[in-house]
Amino acid sequence: MATIVLLDDNIRVKVSDGTTLRKVALKTGASMEFGCRVGDCSTCVAYVESGMEYLNEKSEKEHKVLQMLGEDTRELRLMCQCEVNASEGEVLISYRLA
Amino acid sequence: MIGAITALSDSVFFTGVFDPKIRTFDIIMKTANGSSYNSYLVRGSEGVAIMDTVKKEFSEPFFQRVELLCDYEEIKYIVLHHLEPDHSGALVELMGRAPHAKLIISGRAVMMLKGIIKEDIPFEVANTGKTISLGDKTIEFLSTPFLHWPDTMSSYLHEEKILFSGDVFGSHYYDERLFDDEVGDFSYAFKYYYDHIMRPFKQYVLQALKLYRKFDIDIIAPLHGPILRTNPKYYLDKYAQWSSEEKFRKNEFGKKMFSVFYISSYDNTHEMAVKITEGADDIDGVIASMYDLSSLDENTMIDLLEESDAVVIGSPTINGDAVKPAWDLLSCMAFLENGGKVGATFGSYGWTGEAAGMLHDRMRGLKFRLPTEPLKVKLIPTEEDLESCTGFGREVAEIMMGKMVEMEI
Repeated sequence: MATIVLLDDNIRVKVSDGTTLRKVALKTGASMEFGCRVGDCSTCVAYVESGMEYLNEKSEKEHKVLQMLGEDTRELRLMCQCEVNASEGEVLISYRLA
Repeated sequence: MIGAITALSDSVFFTGVFDPKIRTFDIIMKTANGSSYNSYLVRGSEGVAIMDTVKKEFSEPFFQRVELLCDYEEIKYIVLHHLEPDHSGALVELMGRAPHAKLIISGRAVMMLKGIIKEDIPFEVANTGKTISLGDKTIEFLSTPFLHWPDTMSSYLHEEKILFSGDVFGSHYYDERLFDDEVGDFSYAFKYYYDHIMRPFKQYVLQALKLYRKFDIDIIAPLHGPILRTNPKYYLDKYAQWSSEEKFRKNEFGKKMFSVFYISSYDNTHEMAVKITEGADDIDGVIASMYDLSSLDENTMIDLLEESDAVVIGSPTINGDAVKPAWDLLSCMAFLENGGKVGATFGSYGWTGEAAGMLHDRMRGLKFRLPTEPLKVKLIPTEEDLESCTGFGREVAEIMMGKMVEMEI
């Protein structure tokens, strides 16, 4: 199983391949914020400190929305668009960017 | 009758409108003095920029002011600092009248534009650092998101040292004399506006202030209420002070606040609250306190919620629901920044016991971190139940203090 570490809430959770980050938030009670949940609003933007390679690829739409934030987007993801794409490895995520 | 045109400087003019009769704004805000929807026109040697429009039903006086100051062909840019309808209401009409105008919005506004305007409009995106030129006038954009809409930005007119701050530094206060040194005492409206509009976004206010302080500001031109030209730093400092007030207890003792809010009809939920509080208070670094919701007014609820690092709510179930004071408490979160507060719920029940679960779901919707399932006890708690309550309080408090939670899903 892969491991997701939610740095802002001190949660370390083991998940199986294909688990969405929305499910991780729901099951752990983590405080990450979701807005539209369809990748439009960028409320759920988060910083992937390491382990980006264990998540699914960004879609063209996600790329576009992140670019509109006007920041270096390489380590950013929209949590509502993320799912684990590995059966091992560790992903460190921080979502309180303010 | 629109009255005389008010000039902020030789090249910047007020094109906003007045709404003296409005008494409730955005459903939640009382506006005893009415309000204004401010808009500004900037004239440069090579064209004109319109900074925001107005609420749709006030379009006529807005266009009258614009027409007194320029020909529509001269308008080179229309800047919307955010898309809220009270500032974008005349946009489509203005775009239609101004054939050469380019709309400037923030990156976050792009996905919202269609939802507000309902038709395709050409636009250009501005993030921090982007500038536009009107010949001898340069406007620089600053990304100041979530103040109070996600897409909010501000801009600075270099040559006149004017900050167009969007809703930041606004007041719902109608007074056609417009400038802060000429209008009546609007200080209560300035603070009321901050408390109701900006307080939930304190961290973003502080970020915006960092950007603002890089500029030499002579005038702050907000989108509601008086234009601030006497000592703009005073207003920046007020926002800084209100946004960075340390939590009282944290400040004094360096501890974290664990607050148990409860309401009880036969003392059963109260007994649970006592044990949960005792359990939490056992943990180093925690100050746990109990509050009976039947005796708290709304302002106290807001202050206590803001101070609390953990919010634990207990309610009995009556007619299949939590009781009203518990819902009233959670409704106060609309005025606050959540910032990852820990939440938990509990309650005694007689028959079906929905209350704790319903409050838990509502807290999830309000983005609390909810590390435990609701704790429910059937009618009168046994000794064993009360021990569970103590453990529940201890567990939630440990997590509030940063204990790593390991789990598998």
